[in-house]
Amino acid sequence: MELFIEQLINGVALGSLYALFGLGFGIVFSTLGILNAAQGTYASWGAIVALNAADQWKLPFAASLLTGVVAAGLIALIVDQVAFQPLRKRGTSMLGALITSIACWIILDSLAGTATGHNSLSFPRGTYPSTMFHLGTIPLPAMQLITIAALLVVTLGLQLLTRHSRLGSAMRAVGWDQTAASIGGVNPRYVVVITAFLAGATSGFAGVLGGITTQNVSFMLGEGLMLKGFAAVVVGGYDDVRGTALAGVALGVLEVLTSQYLSSGLRDGITYSLLLIFLLVRPRGLFGSLNFSRA
Amino acid sequence: MRFSLRLGSLVLSAVAFLGLQTSQAIAQGLATGEYKIGFITENTGPIAQAGQSFWAGAQLAAEEVKSTKYLGGSSILLEPKEAGSDAARSIQAMSQFIADRSIIATTCCILSPVAGALKPAVLSAKIPLVIYGATAAGLPELPWVYSVTILPGPKDTAAALKVSDALKPKSVVYILAADNDAFKGRMAATQKAMEAKGIATAGVVSVLTKDTDFTAAATQAMGLKPDMILVYTTQQAAAGSISALRDRGFTKTIVGNDVLSPDSIFKKMGPTVVGVPFPVSFSDTISDSPEAKAFVAAYQAKVHAAPDIYSAQGYQMVWLIAQGLKSITGTPTRETLGAALEKIEKFDHQVYGGEFMKEGQAQTTGTIVVNWTAEGKLVPWTPPK
Amino acid sequence: MVALISPAPKKTMQRLFDFWSAYQSTVAFAIVNSFLALSTYAVLSAGILSFATVTYAALGGFLGARLVLASGLDSLLALPIAALAGAGLSYLVALVFLRLQSHWMALASLSLILITRVIVINTPWVTGGVVGMSVPMPLSLSFLSLLLALAAFVFWRLSVSWYGIAAQSVREDPAVASSLGISARDIQTIAFVISGAVGGLGGILLAGLLQFISPDTYFVNIAFTMIAGVVLGGSYHWSGAIVGAAVFTALPVVAQAAFPEYQDVANGVVLLAIMIFLPRGLIDPRAIRLRRASR
Repeated sequence: MELFIEQLINGVALGSLYALFGLGFGIVFSTLGILNAAQGTYASWGAIVALNAADQWKLPFAASLLTGVVAAGLIALIVDQVAFQPLRKRGTSMLGALITSIACWIILDSLAGTATGHNSLSFPRGTYPSTMFHLGTIPLPAMQLITIAALLVVTLGLQLLTRHSRLGSAMRAVGWDQTAASIGGVNPRYVVVITAFLAGATSGFAGVLGGITTQNVSFMLGEGLMLKGFAAVVVGGYDDVRGTALAGVALGVLEVLTSQYLSSGLRDGITYSLLLIFLLVRPRGLFGSLNFSRA
Repeated sequence: MRFSLRLGSLVLSAVAFLGLQTSQAIAQGLATGEYKIGFITENTGPIAQAGQSFWAGAQLAAEEVKSTKYLGGSSILLEPKEAGSDAARSIQAMSQFIADRSIIATTCCILSPVAGALKPAVLSAKIPLVIYGATAAGLPELPWVYSVTILPGPKDTAAALKVSDALKPKSVVYILAADNDAFKGRMAATQKAMEAKGIATAGVVSVLTKDTDFTAAATQAMGLKPDMILVYTTQQAAAGSISALRDRGFTKTIVGNDVLSPDSIFKKMGPTVVGVPFPVSFSDTISDSPEAKAFVAAYQAKVHAAPDIYSAQGYQMVWLIAQGLKSITGTPTRETLGAALEKIEKFDHQVYGGEFMKEGQAQTTGTIVVNWTAEGKLVPWTPPK
Repeated sequence: MVALISPAPKKTMQRLFDFWSAYQSTVAFAIVNSFLALSTYAVLSAGILSFATVTYAALGGFLGARLVLASGLDSLLALPIAALAGAGLSYLVALVFLRLQSHWMALASLSLILITRVIVINTPWVTGGVVGMSVPMPLSLSFLSLLLALAAFVFWRLSVSWYGIAAQSVREDPAVASSLGISARDIQTIAFVISGAVGGLGGILLAGLLQFISPDTYFVNIAFTMIAGVVLGGSYHWSGAIVGAAVFTALPVVAQAAFPEYQDVANGVVLLAIMIFLPRGLIDPRAIRLRRASR
């Protein structure tokens, strides 16, 4: 029983990472209509910048975390303005945006490789909280608690933003139809910029936390998160914040419990089969909305 | 009388002079020149760190061959083509090397499947290939395919038994990279030997080489309550698993493998890797033959980092080819080089303290079991009190 | 006789010959990639973005290779079997996926690739599992060129046939097409079957060329490479797929020669530049028509 609870907590923490990353990916997909292949690189770069902040500039944990998150947001912003904005002006389809995002993915990934010397780096001990709490005899590393808390905070924040604020309504309007939104008094350019930054920052957050907990800061960090975050978005509902969060956590738990009680070979298989089943049976996910009117 | 004496001495000296020239020519053997080795580098990609070590070691050896005039006036030139550990790019690079007539030998590969993929091309094109890093057994095929990789498998078993003899565990757990055939084989061999000694297998926890999170695997392994855990995975997975185990409070012995030997692993893992025993065939602090010490010093001066087993293998690859070249008379061709390499049994110059070639596969004698200290040095392992 | 031929032209011939054999494999890869690109183009020309070509290729590649290895089947016979297998699979995929809207189709096909890899890893008796398998199937360049010429001929005939025109109308506006009595579903199903056949063929050709296939051979990387190739070359004409594949295969080789340190970044930058400045790709029938009309 104890083992089950331990693994359950592990699953929730792992899933929180997936969910956090998925939220960023979902924002881009639902608001900007772009299947962003470069999203993973925002996570990798967030981790790299945070590592430098902690290791080289010797900033305390919170500050290096913030630096990484902001850096990821800025990179996402730059990518959006340099790569996607020219396409937006021409009214290019999803396909064009996808290819462009692939190009950015290639560029950012290989730059990340160069930045880490093609190694997998770790955050030095002492740059992040490493206290071990205990729930009875079950160990609870501080980072796991921080990750879960981060997910809760970000989910709440994004939910409030998208459903209960003017900016959120503007984002949803732009996601539906940019021209109509601008007729309604929304400045689409401004909304797009903020959306891109937010998406990058959220995924970057996942990247920094992931880089610390898995002790693996490299271009592969983002790629690993990408597939799972993508699954979280599809299963949870591409434009529903709570759905994505829930789905991400559920995926993490499913993954860990499958490894423990079935076999780790089936682990990915179950995740992706679930993904495919949802796409076929209920493509809008658990909580997604019915219509997707982008051409 | 006087005339014939002068004529005689003239003839004698002429004959002597000619004889000297001829014998010098025979002693010289190899025609002077710059001989190219086509080097498929893996300096980018998932195992770039190891790839860079191989490359640096090889470059150092090429420089030494030239500076020590081992081949007389000839030198070895390394011609790199990057493949990023990708099979398709490796095949393309190999095709280009084969087509380049000035290249008389090729070298490649850290990944065994990639080495396997290149073999058919090399065998049909009849060009020597010296594998510098792939760890699968049975790759060499005389006279064309050789391997200077010191196969880690037998060392693993020896190390596991040595540690078990000292600590006497009752049951152990193996952490295995389920998607790596080489490690599967290594683990199976060790498991068999351990079980033969009565050490029970509490379980095998599978991870994947591309995994990044090992908390679940560590929890699973600890849940089986073993006296000792043995790790049979690739580098990142090993680092991740061991760190996760220590972070979750596993204090008993964890036995690692050779992937833990590079300096960068100590930098990455810090205190979590201290005290973890693993076998090593070459270590910059422990290998103490004069050649080893000279190698370490030269490598340190050139690269500003300590050499690891990968550097040593890259280094030996060039020396193997140099040794083959030395025994050739005239201009070497791919065929004559292959024949020359086939004949090599003992190394003229090696840093392991005892390395020899058997049927195209390099081997060393003896296994050293070491562990990292808190100061970042490798020392021979002693059982904790 | 030999002495009569002066050394200079002989040496040039030798150099040309060496150059040719050095880059022969690149040309061969370009041809094989063309098949994969044509397979993607086949569905794209009917208005569907699908990455499932990778799955058809995996089926064709592993099945064909296993048949050749296990039963000593002549490689010439294995080719049509691979194509048929691909066509069969694509028909099934069409049945299940065609009811999805465009975005979901793209995501579903992406998930299909992920699941394919898991299946490949877990069926070692066919695919050699995680390790992969050797493929003893030598392919000559002339044979590959012949096959490509054949495929080009087929695509050309299709593009000027009733099917081609119907597909074009379905792509531009499915509503109008159906009002003209064209069943979008039927046309798209045909497109899928063509895509499957060409994809399966491409898969076994790739296997023969690489001489070694593993689960990573048919994965996200070639999915993105082939889609980028199609869009680069021009997604509005079948010749665009061939040109795009050739450019995208040659690009890394050129980049490696020109910028060995930053070759990947160079790839991405070129792709990005083409997407921004030539969004309809290198071969754009509309631009050609407009240019001709303005003369």
